[in-house]
Amino acid sequence: MTWIQPTSVDAVVRARAENPEAIIVAGGTFLGILVRAGMLEADDWISLQDVRELTRLQSLGDLSIGAMVRHRRLELDEDVRGIWPGIAAAFRAVASPRVRNVATVGGVLADADYASDPPSMLVASRAVAEIASVRGSRRVPIEELITGHYSTCLEEDELITRVIVPRPQGPAVYRKLRTRSQEDRPSSSVAAVVHQGTVRVVVGAVSDRPHHFADLCATWRPGNEDSAREIGAGYAERIEYIDDNRGSAAYRRRVVAVEVRRALMQVSS
Amino acid sequence: MNTSTARARRDQDNNEGTGNARLRPGETSAVQGVNPRITAGIRYATDGGIPGEWHLRIIRSSVPAGRVTGFQTALLDDEIIFLTPDDVDAAGLPAFGCQIADQTVLTREPKFVGDAIAAVLAPTLAAARIAASLVEVSYERAPAVFDEMAAIAPDALLVHRSHATSESDSAYFDMRPQDGTNVCHRFRIRTAALQGRQEPNVITELDDSDTALADAFAQADVIIDEVFHTPAAAHVPMEPHATNAQWVEGRLEVVTGTQTPFNMRQDLAHIFGLAADDVRIVVPPMGGAFGAKTFIRTEAITALAARVSGRPVRCVLDRDEVFNEVTRHPSTVRIRLGAKADGTFVAKRIWAYVNTGAYADCGPGVAQKMGYAGVGPYRFEHVAVDSYCIYTNLPPGGAFRGYGAMQSVWASERAVDLLADRLGIDAVELRRQNLLREGDTFCTGEVMHDSHFEELLDDAASAVGWEKDGDRAGKGVAIMLKGMQTPSKAEARIQLLPDGRYEVQAGTADMGQGASEMLTRLAAEYLKCDVDQIVVCTPDTDRVPYDTRTTSSRSTHMMSRALADAAQDLLQHGTVGHGYVSNDGGLDPDTGQGVASSHWHQGSAAASLDVDEETGVITLRTLYASSYAGKVVNPHGADLQNEGSMILGLGSALFEELQFSDGQMTNPNLSDYNIASALDVVSISHKVMQIPGAEVHGLGETAVPPVPPAIGNAVASFGYHVTRLPMTPERVLAAAPSHEQASPPVGHIQGEEGA
Ligand SMILES: Cc1cc2nc3c(=O)[nH]c(=O)nc-3n(C[C@H](O)[C@H](O)[C@H](O)COP(=O)(O)OP(=O)(O)OC[C@H]3O[C@@H](n4cnc5c(N)ncnc54)[C@H](O)[C@@H]3O)c2cc1C
Repeated sequence: MTWIQPTSVDAVVRARAENPEAIIVAGGTFLGILVRAGMLEADDWISLQDVRELTRLQSLGDLSIGAMVRHRRLELDEDVRGIWPGIAAAFRAVASPRVRNVATVGGVLADADYASDPPSMLVASRAVAEIASVRGSRRVPIEELITGHYSTCLEEDELITRVIVPRPQGPAVYRKLRTRSQEDRPSSSVAAVVHQGTVRVVVGAVSDRPHHFADLCATWRPGNEDSAREIGAGYAERIEYIDDNRGSAAYRRRVVAVEVRRALMQVSS
Repeated sequence: MNTSTARARRDQDNNEGTGNARLRPGETSAVQGVNPRITAGIRYATDGGIPGEWHLRIIRSSVPAGRVTGFQTALLDDEIIFLTPDDVDAAGLPAFGCQIADQTVLTREPKFVGDAIAAVLAPTLAAARIAASLVEVSYERAPAVFDEMAAIAPDALLVHRSHATSESDSAYFDMRPQDGTNVCHRFRIRTAALQGRQEPNVITELDDSDTALADAFAQADVIIDEVFHTPAAAHVPMEPHATNAQWVEGRLEVVTGTQTPFNMRQDLAHIFGLAADDVRIVVPPMGGAFGAKTFIRTEAITALAARVSGRPVRCVLDRDEVFNEVTRHPSTVRIRLGAKADGTFVAKRIWAYVNTGAYADCGPGVAQKMGYAGVGPYRFEHVAVDSYCIYTNLPPGGAFRGYGAMQSVWASERAVDLLADRLGIDAVELRRQNLLREGDTFCTGEVMHDSHFEELLDDAASAVGWEKDGDRAGKGVAIMLKGMQTPSKAEARIQLLPDGRYEVQAGTADMGQGASEMLTRLAAEYLKCDVDQIVVCTPDTDRVPYDTRTTSSRSTHMMSRALADAAQDLLQHGTVGHGYVSNDGGLDPDTGQGVASSHWHQGSAAASLDVDEETGVITLRTLYASSYAGKVVNPHGADLQNEGSMILGLGSALFEELQFSDGQMTNPNLSDYNIASALDVVSISHKVMQIPGAEVHGLGETAVPPVPPAIGNAVASFGYHVTRLPMTPERVLAAAPSHEQASPPVGHIQGEEGA
């Protein structure tokens, strides 16, 4: 087994290019469970823990979140809380402080677990991932990054280096529905972000990836309960739901209508 | 700390009683400094220890029922030792089981997914894992049955071809297997007027009209008849099952995490054909057990592997194996409760269908407790209970904190609220009106003593601001009684060491409940010395005298008295003191008359909550439990026990359910199986009720059973009549008044509700 600990993004992408089988380790909260459960075995590992440039968090213009920024930092950072309250709320909703102290932004996006909190809010906030490899770097909107259950559009030698979130111009609301313990993953994850009078509602954790229906959002009349209800009903109907321990497909369909309506009324006020 | 201040501190504890905010963790600890459980200062069985140990991995059935037709082992390295049922036969090992001898060390006829069918032994754990993955097993599958009602149906296929009986097993009592059925034990209660009637042996239908006993309800103006369900649940001890075994000159030595060292010694001696003295069980502190570490688990196979290989062997289960090793009994409980229009209870009928899975384990004992605990602390003219311990092809059910009481108290206390609604009587008043008081007779014929149900009920009600006939939206209460293992024996020895300290030798196992601290404190109190002068020896059957086991919240109650005698003896006779206590009793399995418990665990709970009517999500405002403890030995420890019980009850009420697909557990991990977390317990508060001069009462489980029905009754106050645990948001919505009649008609049987 080899374990390498590069100190720069350059070194990481070179190591990846040489050995695309090697596994990137960020906070290790997801990988740790897979390894313990015997679901993942690998000979080579690349740890990001010494790559200082990946831990940068900048909020001067857009919000730039290095891939190794921990959830807890986004939850507590004054600027993020003040200017991107939706982002702070979505990361605060994850698990427990113990997990948030180690889990990273790159990790939650790259694992593409459907039952996550941040993706719906990142999509609603029109966030973009910056991705690097030896071939250069590219930017991909989060809704294109996550393509399905545990799958992304990342090439096998690519690395997420940061996530960029534009400055919001309007209110944002994050609603996590927990059906079991307070530390559980979401049964539904609804984000609503208002931008120049239009809203982006994104529903996550109920199917393979987050869903956004621009045509439904375009019908929104702020503050109007009927409009909110109709949009909620539209989302409920269009998504194909999964069954899991946090709720059946039928239950999810029912509560998505409620949660979308509530989110829309909250961003109206 | 000198003697006088130690005592002063103890007195202070006694005077202040136990409350909530007053004591900081560790402040009252007899063990000075930081708890070694927090600093990793304890070596557990899972940490291993015998140099040269090889590692055992168990190969488990992937079919719920059938026959193993062959093993392909060509890929195994030469050094790997491969054990099969043939080795069990060659060694002549008999069937075993703590109450019914229905298990073998390795089986050719697996009866659940996860049943041990073979094992590999290798020098390292990694090699053992690889070897286990290289063995291919072929099976002949057989049909299986999973649900307790399907398994008790007249034409159900039989999980065991015939019923084993054995009277030599370690926790045996009078069994009533029902021939030709999957019922391995039937427990009945029949109060005087209902005895000796012509009745069917087994009642298999949930809507049985119960003609033989129907007259018990003749005086009732209102009858509630309802069915409730509880699923299988997991104990989730942090430390997995871990065993180290070695043969030393013909003697078997086992270092293992077990709550039952002396039962273990007897059962292993029986299996290996040894005298009890030739088996030694050493029990390091455990990282939690909650009932999961009772009777034989990994010990027999590890001992066999050690014998075959001639080496020390170690076996530690993976988390998914811990989930499958033993579970809480899924059960279906039908309650029929009749009262006069003025609220006076007249009769109670209980049918408890207890799914014990593939092996009886202590299921018969659980069925008995479920049977009488469901009667509750109430006066009745007539009581009839049928509790069936039923084989299915699920993993075995076993001891679980709350021991059967939880399942039937959930049902019976929900039924009391249904009755209160129907009668239009305040739910607390209805209970109060019928509570067992000092000198009243319980359905077993026992006369109640030291009973405090009314104080407990009032305390719980006031914790949620209950007002008589007031608005009770979102509020619920529950009260219960639970018995202790009876008959039961405890022995203790105290020895004066050469350095002037005293060694306490007792079989009580420390699994995190604070057993050794309890022994330390009590010994210091009885010997009138400082706690620093007391050493507690690790339970070791070669060194400590006999004790029944560390279960059923019995240890502080029983061992405290044995220890008091030992101290007395030592003070009189010099260097060694012996103490012995024995509680006689037991119930007749056909009438339920006798002595169920030498003292009663008495507890109440109350909840105040909101239900989101659109999502079904329950938000707790207050969850309160009040438990009678008699005399408290360790106030901080008592608080932790009570809170721990409540947290377990909360998990059972709202989150915890083992799920199966064709007999295979689908959520044997802590992501898919959710337990209550630190963030869920903010609403919890409690009281450990004590009375100066009272005897020590058990406290380890009292607050488990009343929590689910208290929450269920609070949820029902909004019209959601949930009958199945856990009360997930989905089930709450499905039970909404619009989906169902708010109050079912008399005699109505509620079927499965929810999705
Ligand atoms: C107990 C528990 C509870 C949880 N509850 C929640 C919850 O409520 N809500 C929620 O949203 N999530 C929850 N999670 C998930 C948790 O947030 C994720 O596991 C975490 O975000 C993953 O981040 P990490 O840094 O630990 O990733 P790692 O485990 O290190 O890596 C995850 C994956 O991403 C890859 N990877 C990591 N960084 C990069 C990168 N920069 N570029 C490319 N690939 C990369 C890794 O190779 C791996 O495949 C929970 C996790 C646990 C353990």
